[in-house]
Amino acid sequence: MKPEPRPGRRVTEVVVLTTAMLSFISFGRAAAIVLCDMASTAWYIGGIVETAIGPSAPWFILGVLLCAAPVLMLYVEGSAMFVRGGVYKVVRESMGGGLAKLSVSALMFDYVLTGAISAVSAGQYLAGLANSAFPRLHIHWAVEPKTFSVVFALCVVAYFWRQNIRGIEESSDKAIKIMSLVAVMAVVTFSWAAYTIWVRGFIWPPLTLDFSHESLGWLKGSEHSLGKLGLLVAFGHAFLGMSGLETLAQVYREMEAPKLKNLKRAAAAIFVFALLLTGTISLLAVGLIPDAVRKTYADNLLSGLAMSMAGPHWAQLLLQAFVVVVGVLILSGAVNTSIMGSNGVLNRLAEDRIMPDALRHLHPRYGTTHRMINLVVLMQALTIVLCRGDVYLLGEAYAFGVIWSFVFNAGAVLVLRFKDRSKREWKFPGNLKLGRQELPLGLAALFLLLFSVGLVNLLTKRHATISGVAFTAVFFALFVISEKLNKREKAHDEHREKFNLRSADDLGIMRDEIERPNRVLVAVRDPGNLYHLNRALESHDAETTDLVVFTSRIRKGLGLVDETVSMDNDEEKLFTKVIEAAEKHGKTVTPMLVVSNDPFYAITQAAQAVGATEVVFGVSAKLSTDTQLERLAMTWGSLQTDKKPVRFRILGPGVEHAVDL
Amino acid sequence: MSWFQKKTPEPAADSPKTAPTSRAAKGLKVSSILAEDTILFPPEGSGKAEIMQSLAAAVCGKAGIADWATFLSKVQERETGISTTLDTGLSLPHARMDGITGILAGMAILKKPIPDPKQTDLSIRVMFLFFSPNKQDAFPLHLQLLRGVSSLFQPALIDQLTATSSAAAALELIKKLEA
Repeated sequence: MKPEPRPGRRVTEVVVLTTAMLSFISFGRAAAIVLCDMASTAWYIGGIVETAIGPSAPWFILGVLLCAAPVLMLYVEGSAMFVRGGVYKVVRESMGGGLAKLSVSALMFDYVLTGAISAVSAGQYLAGLANSAFPRLHIHWAVEPKTFSVVFALCVVAYFWRQNIRGIEESSDKAIKIMSLVAVMAVVTFSWAAYTIWVRGFIWPPLTLDFSHESLGWLKGSEHSLGKLGLLVAFGHAFLGMSGLETLAQVYREMEAPKLKNLKRAAAAIFVFALLLTGTISLLAVGLIPDAVRKTYADNLLSGLAMSMAGPHWAQLLLQAFVVVVGVLILSGAVNTSIMGSNGVLNRLAEDRIMPDALRHLHPRYGTTHRMINLVVLMQALTIVLCRGDVYLLGEAYAFGVIWSFVFNAGAVLVLRFKDRSKREWKFPGNLKLGRQELPLGLAALFLLLFSVGLVNLLTKRHATISGVAFTAVFFALFVISEKLNKREKAHDEHREKFNLRSADDLGIMRDEIERPNRVLVAVRDPGNLYHLNRALESHDAETTDLVVFTSRIRKGLGLVDETVSMDNDEEKLFTKVIEAAEKHGKTVTPMLVVSNDPFYAITQAAQAVGATEVVFGVSAKLSTDTQLERLAMTWGSLQTDKKPVRFRILGPGVEHAVDL
Repeated sequence: MSWFQKKTPEPAADSPKTAPTSRAAKGLKVSSILAEDTILFPPEGSGKAEIMQSLAAAVCGKAGIADWATFLSKVQERETGISTTLDTGLSLPHARMDGITGILAGMAILKKPIPDPKQTDLSIRVMFLFFSPNKQDAFPLHLQLLRGVSSLFQPALIDQLTATSSAAAALELIKKLEA
């Protein structure tokens, strides 16, 4: 029930704005999310690539993983330019909306496949473990791997669907736990493998290529005339080792301060971990599992590696169980990453009004874009059912989106070097200075390499080309139609953040929102004048200080109780800019809106309610800083019930004043 | 704008400890800047402008300043801007003046509230008018006084003040509250 109107200058309605995008994660968590996808390929890439190109597969997998370093650098440059970045944003800024939509359509194909291949592969590992263990446990059952993997995969997808609906923080927590367990498994496996090599020796994988019947696609019959192009074909088959990198750009907006430094740290961690885990495991699998046995473990190669270690059978079985448990966890984590990454990509599209507005609806409790998550999960479930548990089929179809999104991304960042000559926070290395000009030779070389692999894959990976092109075409058409419909419905195309609004009749609601010992209140009004907010974000310590970003809706007269709590256009625009600023700095803010009949009373009441020791303002276009401070000092005194000191700061370009009362 | 201390941004945690507020501002008592002859009881029917004029004249007279009209015009100029009336019933006209070295203050107690001409939904029951030195280092003191006066003159005190009939009794009330 709302209170009766009271005379005087008072806040009558308080609205706290929440969105899942206001929580930030460490670089370790960001790396773990990406690695859950990228490193999980260790569990299936060896089998798939060896089936395609023969036992030299580990060398090409290593080559692809080394190539991840420049691709990660590419993402660092792109993300540093656009906080809400990723391939869509970078390509749109560089080459226009059409190609951007095309690149995202291709990327969505791989996000759907990542979920499917990871979940199915996890099922295969579990089925393999069951079939290895049952005879020893005197259980006379056998699990049909493909059927079991389909059912299991659907369960995994359903689980992570629920997790993502609940928000990123919980999901990243799981990712970091999974990656810690993977690290333990890697240490155990590598140590045991070292012992096995010492006992039995090691057979280095050959360097010769042995393409399978299907792996040359439309180039079939030209095996002998391929020459050096064969290396590129083989490299293309191993390219699925680089899946998941786009997610790094998607989680960048949630990365905590210092953002760029943390992005670089995350990129380095991803590179080293994936290289060591996937590269070493692929080498060990070919070097330690006898050729005849290895084929039977094509779908669960790490199980084969465990069973090929030196030691008693029960110990091998224990290692297999450990490898399978960790594998199931990381592969499930990859499902999570794919859902998160695709949700991020779709959000970028939605911000540009390319997705239907209904899909941007926030979950009433968790504030996540649940309808987008539902869409992705539904497509993943459909793919799992359609593939009938065939990992190789999924692997063959895979990497279409990965390679083409990289090609578009590299091309876009390259073009931007010429189109937008503003100072970069970080640049891809290999730049040749010629007077005032700078030639991005490193970027150009990477683009050419990726483009060549993309073209070769188009010809050799038939499943990927046919299904990828079809999927991309359908998604592209959907995006184009949806964009046109949205443009017809709404004239303005400026992105507005979606918020959940929690309202109350008094400022006591704020006590639930603040938890740190210090509080700073930043008063904002004009979306074009957030200099002071950015300065406050720069200087405040997010560990110890809550930053409450405040605006007031001023209504004349005292009968304010019928005021609605929904935000108007100007407020939406203002808080969208606030969220963008918070994301840019990687620091959490608590946005709030109050309805009052006096802005100074509103600020004072809010600041005193949250226990602010500092109140920050921008330079006003209407009032002098003297007048602002005089009025604030008066209202502060008239409302203050204790003698706590407070600092008022006024910040603007070239203006910085502080006064303590 | 040079009256503020220019400083580099720093966390809020240490802000109260590094306060640039002057010592004078911290120890300032409202009762010490008032005198019985600067506490007025305007006759019923007086408007805000008249009361301000009477107060300016009284305050300047007490300080031996003959040109009270200049002081009045400065405070009137300030009043054309954002309101100085609070919803407690306190009106706080003020101005920063050249040529003075300390605070000059006076108070008017209205037996019958009058509406504020700029914000008619607010009533004036007590008017506290003051002048502070127009110097760089005096601005924190100016702000401190605004905060201190508005903090002191809460509705309970204003009720008591309007019930008094002499300047001495009013000053005594304030002294008692500040003790």
